[in-house]
Amino acid sequence: MTQDYIRQREKRTGWMLVIPAVLLLLLVYAFPILRAFWLGFFTENLSTNLQPEFSGLENYGRMVQDGRFWQSIGNTAIFTVFSLLFELILGLIIALALDQAFRGRGLVRTIAILPWALPTALIALAWRWIFNAEYGVWNDILVRLQIIGDPVNWLGDPNWAMVSVIAADVWKTTSFVAILLLAGLQSISQDLYEAHSIDGATPWQSFRQITLPLIAPQIVIAMLFRFAQAFGIFDLIQVMTGGGPGGATEMVSIYIYATVMRYLDFGYGAALVAVTFLILILVVALAGLGLKRLQANAE
Amino acid sequence: MTTVTKPTAPTPSSTSDSSIPWKRILLWLAIAFTVIFSLAPVLWQVLTSIKTNAAITADPTVYFPGLDQLTARHYIDLFRENQFQIYIINSALVSVISTILCLALGSPAAYALARLRIPGEQLVLGAVLVVTLFPYILLFLGLLEIVRALGLANNYLALIVPYTAINLPLTILVMRSFFQQLPKDLEDSAKVDGYNTLQMLWQIVLPMTLPALVTTGILAFIFAWNEFLFALTFMTRESMKTIPVAAAQLGGTTLFEVPYGPLAASTVVGTLPLVLLVLFFQRRIVQGLTAGSVKG
Amino acid sequence: MFNFSLNRIALTWRRRFRWVALALVSGLIALTYGLIVWAQQPVTISFLVRAVEADQMQSLANQFMEENPDIRLEMVRGPNAADAVEDLYTTSFLLGDSPYDLVFSDVVWIPKFAAAGWLEDLSDRVSDEELSEFLEADVVAGLYQDGLYRMPFRSDMGMLYYRTDLLEEVGLEPPETFADLIAASEAIQEQTDTNWGFVWQGSQYEGLVTNYVEIVAGFGGFWIDPDTQEVGLDQEAGIKAAEFMKQVISDGITPGGVTNYLEEDSLRQFENGNAAFLRNWPYVWAEANKEGSPVAGKIALKPMVHDDGQQPAACLGGWGFGLSATTPHPDEAWRVVEFFTSPEPMKAFVMEHAYVPSRRALFTDPEVLAEFPHFEQLLEVAETAIPRPPIGQYAQLSDILQRYLSAAITNQMTPENAMQAAARESRRVLGVDA
Repeated sequence: MTQDYIRQREKRTGWMLVIPAVLLLLLVYAFPILRAFWLGFFTENLSTNLQPEFSGLENYGRMVQDGRFWQSIGNTAIFTVFSLLFELILGLIIALALDQAFRGRGLVRTIAILPWALPTALIALAWRWIFNAEYGVWNDILVRLQIIGDPVNWLGDPNWAMVSVIAADVWKTTSFVAILLLAGLQSISQDLYEAHSIDGATPWQSFRQITLPLIAPQIVIAMLFRFAQAFGIFDLIQVMTGGGPGGATEMVSIYIYATVMRYLDFGYGAALVAVTFLILILVVALAGLGLKRLQANAE
Repeated sequence: MTTVTKPTAPTPSSTSDSSIPWKRILLWLAIAFTVIFSLAPVLWQVLTSIKTNAAITADPTVYFPGLDQLTARHYIDLFRENQFQIYIINSALVSVISTILCLALGSPAAYALARLRIPGEQLVLGAVLVVTLFPYILLFLGLLEIVRALGLANNYLALIVPYTAINLPLTILVMRSFFQQLPKDLEDSAKVDGYNTLQMLWQIVLPMTLPALVTTGILAFIFAWNEFLFALTFMTRESMKTIPVAAAQLGGTTLFEVPYGPLAASTVVGTLPLVLLVLFFQRRIVQGLTAGSVKG
Repeated sequence: MFNFSLNRIALTWRRRFRWVALALVSGLIALTYGLIVWAQQPVTISFLVRAVEADQMQSLANQFMEENPDIRLEMVRGPNAADAVEDLYTTSFLLGDSPYDLVFSDVVWIPKFAAAGWLEDLSDRVSDEELSEFLEADVVAGLYQDGLYRMPFRSDMGMLYYRTDLLEEVGLEPPETFADLIAASEAIQEQTDTNWGFVWQGSQYEGLVTNYVEIVAGFGGFWIDPDTQEVGLDQEAGIKAAEFMKQVISDGITPGGVTNYLEEDSLRQFENGNAAFLRNWPYVWAEANKEGSPVAGKIALKPMVHDDGQQPAACLGGWGFGLSATTPHPDEAWRVVEFFTSPEPMKAFVMEHAYVPSRRALFTDPEVLAEFPHFEQLLEVAETAIPRPPIGQYAQLSDILQRYLSAAITNQMTPENAMQAAARESRRVLGVDA
C-alpha cells in the first residue's frame, strides 16, 4: 500500500463521514436562506392566488415605505441592546461569584443555569403571569414595598410591555452569558492577581486591568451569540405579548411570521427574511473582526 | 471561535484577608441574588399551580397557600380536560429521535473534521460556526415550503429533521473538540491491529467518547424539547402538538377568565424533565456549552 | 498509559449495542401498533371554536349527535381570542393537512379563506329562497367573487346606545347626525353631572376599525371598494372620519383613555353612568340592563349617527360556518351546518345565550320578543349593516388602518397625514396605483 493510496482512502472515508451532515445542513439552513432571496423578487400572496409572479424589486420598494417594518426594526434594536447590556452586567456578577470558592458552589451553579435550560415558551407563560395587571405578583411586591402606589398594567402599556419582555429575556439568558464568562474567568491564573495586589492594586483595579481584558474574547463571543438570538427572538414575545399592545413589542421575527402565516404574503415575507439575514450577517462580521483584533492584541 | 474546554477544576481559594470582611459579604450577596433571581419566577409558577382558583385571584396576594387553599385540580385538568399525556409523548419522541439522529450524523462528521485531512475542511467548519448564529425565523419560510411540498404537515418528520439539523453544528463543534483531545495512539494501535477506519470508529472510538456523546445529547435534547416556532407551524393537529405549543394555546372556559392554574401547571409539567436533567448533568451541560459556545 | 485491550472495549460495546437495538425495535413495533389502533375510528366532523363558545354550543351539539348517531361532532376548544383562532385555522389549512371539516368563522375571515381556496362554494347546496330568510348583510358577508362561502349562524352589528333619562333632562331628541351627537353630549356634560358624552373603542385592534367603518360610511365615504380595489381612506370622507374621532377626544366629549379602550372598557364607563352615549355591540343590552346596573331601564339603542344627508351604517360582525374544501366528508359536514343554521336550533341558542340571530324571522318571533323586546330596534339597526371590505388581504389592510388610526387619535400624526400614509400602504398591499 502506497502512502498515496492510504491518503486517498482517508479522504474518501472522511467525505463519507461528513457528507450526510453537510447535506442535512444544506437542506435546513442553505435552502431556506437562498429560497428567501429568490422568492423576494416575486409577488406571491392572496392577490396572485398564492402563485409567484415576478415583480423585481417591488417587495423591497414596499419595505422602504413600510412604517410597520421600520417600527419592528426599531423595537428589535431596543430589545437587543438593553437585553444584552443587562445580561452582560448580571452575567458578569454571577460569573464572578461562581468563580469564588465557597461551600455549596456546585448547587448554586446548578441553580444558576436552570433558567437557560427551561423552554422559553413556558417561561414566557410564567412571566406573563408574574406581570399580570390584576393578580400579578410583581405588582403586589412593588405596592407592598411602596415603590408604586397603584398597580401597573405591565403588558398593557406600550413602554412597560417592552420593559417586561426585556426583563424576561434577561432572566432567561443571563445564565448562558454567566457560564461562558465563568469559563474565561477560570482560565485566568491566580498568580496574576497576587502579583498585582503586591504592587498595591485595589480589587477594582485588578478587575479593570486583569479580569476584563483577559475575558474580553469570551465577552465578545457571548455577546455575539446573544445578539443573534435576541435579534431573532420569537417565542418569548409571541407568548408574552404577541407583539402588542398596538405593536409596541413587535419584533422583526413577529412581523415576518405574521406576514407569512397570517397575511399569506410569501413574497414580501421572503424579502423581509432576506433583509433580516443581511443585517444579521453584517453585525456578525463586524463582531468577528473585533474578536480577531482582540485575539491579536492578546498575543 | 470555540473556546477550548477547560476541566472544571475548583479554583484555588482566594487568599482571605480578615481585615476586609466586606468582600465576603459582597460574595454572599451576589450568591443570594443569583439563587433568588434564578429560582423565584419558577417557584412562583409552582406555587400558583397548586393553589385553588380562589387563592390564585385572592386580594391580597396569597404567597404560601394554606392547607385549604391547596389543590391538585390544575394538574388533573391537564390530563383530563386536555391531553397532556399525548403532548408529553410527542415532545419526548421528537426530542429523543432527533437527538439520536443528530449524534449519529454529527459525530462521524466531527471525527472526520478533527482527524482526517479532507479538502474543504475549513469551509465546512466555518459554515458550521456561522449557522449556529441563525435564528430559526430565517429558516421557517423555506422549511414551510418543504413541508408543504412533501406533505409532511402533522408528521413527526417535520420536526425531527429540522431539530436534527439545528443541533448538528453544536454536535460537530463539541464532538470535534473531544476527538481532538483523544490520544492519537489509540487509533494508531487500532490500525495496527487491523481495524479499518469505520470499524475503528464504531468499535473503539465511539465507546471512548460516550461521555462526550452524553454531553452533546443532553444539549441537543434540551434544544429540541424547547423549540417553539417549528412546532407551532408544522403541527396543526391536537394529537401531534408538543408541550410548549400546547401550553401556550391553553384556552379558558370563559371569555374573560384566563386559566392561570392550568397554565402554571403546564409550565411545571413541561419544565420538570429539564429541571431533572440540569440537576443530574449540570457539569456536563456547562462543559458542553463552553466547548461549543452554543445558542442561548 | 493505554494498556487496556481494544478487543474488550469492542466486545462490551457490541453487547451493549444489542440491547439498545432490541429496545429500539420493540419501541417501533409498539408505536406502529398504536397507530393502527388509533386509525380505526367512526366518521367525525370536527371544527375549531373558541373555548367559551364551545361550551355554549355543546347542548346543540349533543342534540345533533342524538338525532344523527352516524356522526360524531367534535368541537376543538381553541383560545378565546378570535385572532388566535383565525391563525390556527390558517396554519392548518396552509400546511395542507387540516384536521377541520368545518370552519366556524368570523365574517372577516371569509375572503382570505376563500381566496386561498380553502373553502367549498356553497351556492349549489343552498337555494336563494333559503338564503332570503337570513339578514341580507349576513348573506352578503359570506360572498366572495360570486361564490357563497359561509352560512350565517349568529349576527353582530355596531350601534349607538343612549341614556333616555339624560336626553330627557336636557330636553333633546336622540341624535341623528354627528353634529347632533356632539351638541347633545356637550349639553349633557354641561347640565348634568355626567362626565363624558360619547365612549367607543379606540385601542389599536380590530374594534377600532369597526368604529371607523361606521363613521366613514356615515360621512358617505368608504374604506376600500372591493370591486375596483379603490382606497377611500385619503378621500374627503375618509379623512373627515378620522378627524371626527380625534375631535371628540380633543373636545373633551370622549375621555382621552379611549385610545386604550376595548369593548369592555367603554361598556364599563357607560354602565357606571359616566357617559351618555356608547358605540358598541348587541351584547351590551343585556349587560347594562341586568339587575343592579345603575343605568338599567334608562337606556335605548338606535342606528349609528351620520352626516347630514347621509345614511347610518352598522359594522357587521358575527359568526357562521364554512365548509372545508379538503374534508373527506363534505356531506356529513354540511348536515352539521344545516342543523345549526336551521330555525329551531338557532332560536334555542339565541334564547339561551342572548346572541343576535341571523334569521330575519327570529327578530319578530313572539317568544323571542317577549324575552328580548329590544330586538325590534335591533332589526332596524340590522337593516343598516354593512360588511367590512371582502378582500383576501383583509387582515393586512385592517392592521395598516389600525396602526394609522391609532397614530391619529393619539396625536402622533395629523389625521390627514395618517390617512394618506394608510392609503399609500394599503395600495401597496393591493398592488394598485393611486
